[in-house]
Amino acid sequence: MSVLAIGILGVVGLLVLIFARVPIAIALAASGLCGYAALDGWAKALKMFGSVPFNLASAYSLSVIPLFILMGAVASRANMARELFEASNAIFSGIRGALASATIGACAAFGSICGSSIATAAAFSKVSIPEMRRYGYDAGFAAGAVASAGTLGILIPPSVMLAVYSIVAEQSLARLFAAAMVPGIVLAVLYVITVTLVARLRPDLMPKAPSLSFAQRLRAARSLWKLALLFFLAVVGIYLGWFSPTEAAAVSAFAAIVIAFATRHMDWRGLADALLDTVYATARLFFIVVGAFVFARFIVLTQFPNEVARWVLATGVGPAWILLAVTALYVLLGTFLDEVSTILITVPVTLPLITGIGFDGVWFGIFVTVMCTIGLISPPTGMTVFVIQAQHPNIPVARIYLGTLPFLAADFVLVGLLIAVPQLVSWLPGLLKI
Amino acid sequence: MSGQQPKAVVSRGWRSTTAAACGWAAAVPLAAMMLLTVADVGLRAVLNRPLRGTLEIVELLLACTFFLALPALFLRDEHIVVDVVDGFVGGPGGRRVALLKRLAGMLGVLLMAVMAWQGWIAARDSLMFNDVTSDLSLPMIWYWIPVLAGMIGSVFAAAVMLFWKETPR
Repeated sequence: MSVLAIGILGVVGLLVLIFARVPIAIALAASGLCGYAALDGWAKALKMFGSVPFNLASAYSLSVIPLFILMGAVASRANMARELFEASNAIFSGIRGALASATIGACAAFGSICGSSIATAAAFSKVSIPEMRRYGYDAGFAAGAVASAGTLGILIPPSVMLAVYSIVAEQSLARLFAAAMVPGIVLAVLYVITVTLVARLRPDLMPKAPSLSFAQRLRAARSLWKLALLFFLAVVGIYLGWFSPTEAAAVSAFAAIVIAFATRHMDWRGLADALLDTVYATARLFFIVVGAFVFARFIVLTQFPNEVARWVLATGVGPAWILLAVTALYVLLGTFLDEVSTILITVPVTLPLITGIGFDGVWFGIFVTVMCTIGLISPPTGMTVFVIQAQHPNIPVARIYLGTLPFLAADFVLVGLLIAVPQLVSWLPGLLKI
Repeated sequence: MSGQQPKAVVSRGWRSTTAAACGWAAAVPLAAMMLLTVADVGLRAVLNRPLRGTLEIVELLLACTFFLALPALFLRDEHIVVDVVDGFVGGPGGRRVALLKRLAGMLGVLLMAVMAWQGWIAARDSLMFNDVTSDLSLPMIWYWIPVLAGMIGSVFAAAVMLFWKETPR
């Protein structure tokens, strides 16, 4: 059997295992181990299998992940979501759809201190949806707005997803964080425009909430100092050369804990829960990373990604069609795979293809992350939708998906913008000279 | 039936207690990793004297954080699984889904056992050759201890999940 045939068989085997309900981490490791053995013998495959988990789990660059998760876990438990929502509402108050726009603004801001979409959606589903429903918002639209806005968490830096991508694609995390900033803000603006358009077309979905007084607005905006400080430590500190990404993550997690205790929004019990949530999330994520690296060792041995890239480029298909095919692939994968698995499984294969048509690895990192935001709200397995449904069981899943539809359109507008104007990604890293 | 219910409750308690113990064993190094890095940054900024070997200790603590939490991942049944097949084979509570889960569980036990076996061999080699880190000369076996504890713990955790039949409350 040829090397390429073994490579294809390995990918097919992986998909069969995943669809047969084998946990993704185990499916990746099993197919990677067997494929490696088929190519290089069991002795070398077993040796590789013993060393990969050890090398990965003690790699300094990976320590950024649990520390950023910890910062998000603390921020989620320390009432910061409510304060951000109130501050954001102070800005949008008085216009139709203000509460939905405030949710988007607050999620974007929360995304700058929490790198997880699930955590962002979970935090705001408790804060925003009851408030929107109190003022007569349609339940499906309110939930859809939170589910979609929650996805901003993985795009706006610091982002756990970008940290994972930086490891698998061997790209600079500092550059990826800078590159994600403009697309993240653009997506938040597109979501607000979407709310405004829906408010025009269907005012019955979101009645106008009473306007806040100037004093109320000022009071609500005061709490923004916490966000500003944490964002400064977590992101700006990296570009000022004060911290490495791991140091920035540790300092900002520590600052979040100090702020939470100082403002009496967290006690020792809350801190213990945040630490436990973090280690469980870390284990879940790292186990998939271990599986993906075992699989990647096998894939590299087959030269499968290069062969696919060479084959596709040799067919003479234009870059636009390749991008369309890659977009379609991620839309499809987003319907049943979670975002970490999507990135870890596909990037080793798709990255050579994309770089082959002239885009760089940083651009692709942002592109893939945006595609993951689409997957997070796509049926049948939109994770942020499920998070919201779990907290609001009286809102049917179908209504939440319906509520996300206008925001899905905004996501695709951003995909189009990224392709048409790649400078959206490259401008800020160029300006910061990183 | 009535005789089995207390057993299930005890088992859930035993499982969640063990998972929480693993979680705490991983949470302490995580907190230490954060505090150590903050101390390093602080000392570097204030006294221009960073802590020597922070990187190597962070790596050790990271290995502890991940591997000591790994058995909890099995005991809490928190793996990421694609379950779209459920609708085609009789629904989530059906016998075919139970069979698929059992097969996936067996593969999990086997894979973790192979990982632990190979990890044991690599750790033994590291001990035999007295491998040490480059800066603090920490014995590499210190890194292997949490790794092996997590791997072996995960084999048992995966086996528990494979053989334990959940009884409804």
